[in-house]
Amino acid sequence: MMKLRIASIAAAVLLAGAAALFPAASWAGSCCGGGSAASLIVPKYARSVADISFDTEIYHGFWNQNWTHTPDPPGSDLRQYRVNFGFGQRLGRNWQASVIVPYVWNVNQYSGLSSRTNGLGDATLNLWYEALDDVSAWRVRGIKDLVPSVMIGPSIVIPTGYSPYDDIASSFDVTGRGFYRVDGNLLIEKTIQPWGISASLSYGTYIERSVNREYGKYVEPYKKKLGDRTSASVSLSYNYFIGSGGDTLTPSISYSYLNEADGRVNEADDSSTSFRKQAVGGGISFSGTDRDWSVRASWSHAIREDGWGKNFPTTDIFTVGVRYVFR
Amino acid sequence: MYFAKKYCWLLLFFLIASCGNNLLPSGTDERAQVQPDTVGPEVGQKAPDFAVSDTNGGTVTLSSALASKRGVVLYFTMWCPICDSHMTQMVNTAVPAYPDVRFFAVDYVSGTVADAAAAQAANGFLALPVLADTEHTLLEGYRATMGTTVVIDNAGMIRMNEDYSNGSRLQAVLAGLP
Repeated sequence: MMKLRIASIAAAVLLAGAAALFPAASWAGSCCGGGSAASLIVPKYARSVADISFDTEIYHGFWNQNWTHTPDPPGSDLRQYRVNFGFGQRLGRNWQASVIVPYVWNVNQYSGLSSRTNGLGDATLNLWYEALDDVSAWRVRGIKDLVPSVMIGPSIVIPTGYSPYDDIASSFDVTGRGFYRVDGNLLIEKTIQPWGISASLSYGTYIERSVNREYGKYVEPYKKKLGDRTSASVSLSYNYFIGSGGDTLTPSISYSYLNEADGRVNEADDSSTSFRKQAVGGGISFSGTDRDWSVRASWSHAIREDGWGKNFPTTDIFTVGVRYVFR
Repeated sequence: MYFAKKYCWLLLFFLIASCGNNLLPSGTDERAQVQPDTVGPEVGQKAPDFAVSDTNGGTVTLSSALASKRGVVLYFTMWCPICDSHMTQMVNTAVPAYPDVRFFAVDYVSGTVADAAAAQAANGFLALPVLADTEHTLLEGYRATMGTTVVIDNAGMIRMNEDYSNGSRLQAVLAGLP
């Protein structure tokens, strides 16, 4: 019974950790669209998980090529809203898969132009292998209590969104990047009650594609490939157990790093698509005694100072989400 | 279970039907042949005329821009990171290499000349002439969007109208100007 309770708490912590760990790393709606790719983990001893979240991303400016922060034009108010539908399914004792599909609204207001567009974002398919399990110790008695949860697996981003290479009229219509991407992912989490720490690392490569149209206009065909993507994040959380029933409130803080290398156009370098972003975040999640339902709210903040990013918008992302675990 | 499977297939069908043309990208050249001596935004057509204020308060027309130059380059900016990247590269490479070509950034998001001038200064492009396309004359006339780069030769014919990308196409077109 005690083992089940610990496993249940570990599952709740894992849920909270995973929610805090993957702040949306989207491309800007104001210039380049982009549905987010969050991660979805099925807790141990659960059959599946369903998740829905709502992101509000507010743009403040961008870091340019020289790592200098520049504000958006005067009178502008640029936002992207996303609803992310996620479903994860356990495939075996140590295997699970998930799919996340975002729907994107771009709402852009400049002093001389306004635009409201929407569409499907890029979908993400994940496959996870649970290499090690965390026993979520209350007290460290031996070396085995220090073993973290380790998950590895590939994911693929499917370009289901509207990209610049579709039959669209302007950059405001863009909701995806237009490229398949294959990632290798590593997720490490460790809980020593009441503290939890987690880290993730991903490396991905885009698949080269042909382009014969840009923003609805046919052009001389060429081959294009975006640069390889590296992302990492760490988070620290604390579990407050409320009352005697086992309700858990988990605040967390996080730091995330995202880098994309130079792309290629007809085998020549394209530095205009490379970027770097660093962000800090905070979040809070609540799960009830039975751990089936959990709700969360989080905030990811790109640091609006010189040197914290390159060629990328600086945004604040506010997320609220609800998740249900099927036993 | 049967219903769940059916629902999943329906969802998959909806997903594929809803998305763009990126799942199976095409590399086929589908550019249409343009009629010579027509006015329009396509390569090979006569460039639409315009009269737009620059951020210094002057009025720039197609004929004044082309005066005593081999051509004109219009780069459409919304002051975004990619725009900044493209403009920086253009200013550092194409502008000094082609002194006999006139380069303009076209700000189509600012509502006033003053806003366009403020954005130009904030982004550090004071040396690059900026046209404040407050009425969207250029945006609509050239069917442009963020990153669109238009090259017009001295005869007023459009030589290029596409995304700046990595700048190699612009360099090739400028090198081929009569």
